Amino acid sequence: MDPQYDVVVVGAGNGGLMCAAQCAKNGLKTLVLEKHNLPGGCATTFVRGRYEFEASLHELCSVGTAEKPDEVYRLFEKVGADPDWRYEHTMFRAVCTAPDGYDVTLSGTGDDPWDTFAQCVEDAVPGSKEGVLAIRDLVEHDKDAVAYITKMKGKLNPLRMITQYADFMRMAAYSAEDVMVALGLPAKARNILCTYWGYLGVPTDELKAFHYFNMVDGYVTDGAAFPRLKSHGLSEGLAKVILDNGGDIFYNTEVDGFVYDGNGAVCGVTAGGKEYRARRIVSNILANNVWNLSPAKNVPDKARQLANARSFGISVFTIYLGLDISKDELGLGNYTTFIQKSPRARDQYDLRSNKGFYIVNCLNEIFDEATPEGTCQLFFTAQLDGSDIPDDLTPEEYKDWKNKLAQSYIADAEKVLGVDISSHVEEVVVATPVTFARYLGTPTGTIYAYRTAGWDSVMARMSAQFTDNTVQSLSFVGGQTARGDGYSCAFISGDTTAERITNQLRAEDAAAEAVASGKAGE
Amino acid sequence: MAKPNIRSLDAMAFTSMAGERERHIEEASTAIPPKPSSYKANRMAAALHPSVQHVKIAQVIDRGPRFRSFVLEADEDRGTEGLAWFDAGQYLSVEVPLPEGAVTRPFSICSSPLDAKNGQYQLTLERVPGGRVSDFVWDTWAEGTKLDVSMPCGEFTYEPIRDAKQVVALVGGSSITPIYSLAKAVAEGTEHIESLTILYGTNTWDEAVLEAELQELADSCDAVTLVNVLADEERDGCEHGFITLDLVRKHAPEGDVSYFICGPQAMRLAIDAWIDDLGVRRKFIRREVFGEYRDPEKDPGYPAPAATEFKLTVRVCGEEHELTCNAHDTLLNWMERQGIHAPARCRSGECGWCHSRLVSGDVYVPERTDGRREADKKYGYVHPCATFPLSDVVLEVPPFAN
Repeated sequence: MDPQYDVVVVGAGNGGLMCAAQCAKNGLKTLVLEKHNLPGGCATTFVRGRYEFEASLHELCSVGTAEKPDEVYRLFEKVGADPDWRYEHTMFRAVCTAPDGYDVTLSGTGDDPWDTFAQCVEDAVPGSKEGVLAIRDLVEHDKDAVAYITKMKGKLNPLRMITQYADFMRMAAYSAEDVMVALGLPAKARNILCTYWGYLGVPTDELKAFHYFNMVDGYVTDGAAFPRLKSHGLSEGLAKVILDNGGDIFYNTEVDGFVYDGNGAVCGVTAGGKEYRARRIVSNILANNVWNLSPAKNVPDKARQLANARSFGISVFTIYLGLDISKDELGLGNYTTFIQKSPRARDQYDLRSNKGFYIVNCLNEIFDEATPEGTCQLFFTAQLDGSDIPDDLTPEEYKDWKNKLAQSYIADAEKVLGVDISSHVEEVVVATPVTFARYLGTPTGTIYAYRTAGWDSVMARMSAQFTDNTVQSLSFVGGQTARGDGYSCAFISGDTTAERITNQLRAEDAAAEAVASGKAGE
Repeated sequence: MAKPNIRSLDAMAFTSMAGERERHIEEASTAIPPKPSSYKANRMAAALHPSVQHVKIAQVIDRGPRFRSFVLEADEDRGTEGLAWFDAGQYLSVEVPLPEGAVTRPFSICSSPLDAKNGQYQLTLERVPGGRVSDFVWDTWAEGTKLDVSMPCGEFTYEPIRDAKQVVALVGGSSITPIYSLAKAVAEGTEHIESLTILYGTNTWDEAVLEAELQELADSCDAVTLVNVLADEERDGCEHGFITLDLVRKHAPEGDVSYFICGPQAMRLAIDAWIDDLGVRRKFIRREVFGEYRDPEKDPGYPAPAATEFKLTVRVCGEEHELTCNAHDTLLNWMERQGIHAPARCRSGECGWCHSRLVSGDVYVPERTDGRREADKKYGYVHPCATFPLSDVVLEVPPFAN
């Protein structure tokens, strides 16, 4: 039986959509199967009353502008989607309420954003500017090293590595905290610089410096970016590219099985009572779920072990609020405020169920059209693991539990920030790992796929990316891949996979053609 | 002084990373990883939001010539072991297999969350003379009838973070069902509202379905007050006339009050005309979904359709269906009438469950029931349940899901 498609993408998350868009653009016959009735996965919005809420996006890093495009800007330009990017260069305000706490605002503005950023830290902690600028240099050095590694396709010359890229090796092997200690940065500066750890879900004494500071660099140099039509616009924009280039997207079509050929290569999927065959299958859904939807005999031991060895990334507790006052009346004055009970990332992580660390965002600070005039949209985010849900919680107690937790966060923020939120709530939705488990179907409601820490750090994944894949014709995209979680990383993973598959299929076609014409010439 | 550097860290640690990763993987189990359902968060999600609930009618209760209640229980034979918990005010989207093709209808749950925990949902339906669904239900739904219903849906619920502690419900006719559920939940202590005052508008006393049950709740629970408002009848202890601004002022308690409004569209529009004069903030006005939008041609600014009859081409997962339609009804109704089982829940433009791509054609989307996301307008998506054709239309629709 001839494959109906060149590529079937399972799941229309960021990685899946970008992969399908690029495949379709490259002329491959592409199908996306999505279990939900909308594209996007996490990258979506929902409407309550006169508010349209961002479901999960805080901000994208590594986007850049038309004048100074970075990776993500270029990707969208390449596939021909225009997210109408908006930017924010004030990185965040961090309020730490501990006795040794602080209240600082960091920016990466101007011609030399790293210098502005370092100066902000210097103002808060005199004597730290040199150390911050050293981080900038290390990140630049890392980029050179990654370019070399990519060029060598992972086959590295050990001597060249140790002579030219020793600092990269250190950044990849040590935690962000270790690197900052080595740089001699004072504890307070280290704590302030670690504020972003929550975006990756792993505290910075565990998160590798290479991974963490690469993301920080993405925010310092490019600012934070936002699609004007919110995440739903981003997703529908990519869906449009797929459809305009002859691809198909079937919604409400949940894949319930992966089909393998006699050689153990995946050759199709089943969904809605039909079988869809393809030369390549791309999974945006977690490997754990793929193996559960595959005949056991087709799942290699290595694949099972990799899935079992990994821990799931964190999920979140989110409060979405539509307020009946403008952003100026609310008076936060900036988009992102981090509120921390302790200055140390590890404590913040350990106290995650009890307001140890949470983020307050006011989307109207980026573009005021985010909500109708005289109103604003606020969301709170705290890390919360599916396993943090009380063991004995019953379905009938669930709403009360999440509402009480939400009220305690709102009250805390009102006290810390000196603002009135609770009397202006016109719409409210509270999401927990249960909500994410419901919509995404991920084990334990993870939104960050697998935890990118320790032995499964980004660099360790990058080195193993060609050996991790043990099933022929099957690729993965999204947060589970080498770059780890986050919108930007997922888009990049989708593009990388699309280009690799395109090259493979073109080579196969060329080879088949050569055989055919050889035969014709006989 | 030397520039800050990280030379104190051992670069060779890098060389052991790959081996360390290999070791972790090799030490792991070779079992197939656990299914998502083995995790607490996923189990809770499945319990609260089942993709479908198979139920059967356990009892039919006649409530006069126009009303009938149906008690639903989980159909264990078809794999539904219990009914999902819900918030008072929510509805079930019920699949109704009409002979010409299945349709859905959103029916508010007319029983309490505790009743669901104890194994029962109740729906109370009004007979609509000549209504296709209503005739079918009255003719065929009996004890033992099997039905498929959605998870509990809808946002017409009491939210303690948002709403005032005092609630006044402005209710018209058969729309009493979600408010009955709320009153029962208050009486049973699962909803924490300090006072719930129900202004229950009907034409006559006899038309006030569930009146006795409501009165019983009001008698037994201090927090619940019932005021019957009869348009066509004078009766002791009842208000006479319509639900008006003056009447609301007379019965609303002092202090912040959330108003929960549900009723037929004529009543909803009448209330809209004076609700601003009540002088309460928008957050305190909560409205049940509007219901199916009718008579779009009466709207100011309604664009003239291109013809009286159009082609409607519907694509579902790559299969194309050629139908017909005209400007007087919604795309969803046209599809269902011609055998396309399209997804739908609220049927009021709000919930977005029918989200579909308008490949080509002109349509009219009434502003009042336009619950789309901003990007939908740019990229050409519509909610067919609240979209009227104005020309030939090509629509890409997802397959049905509860």
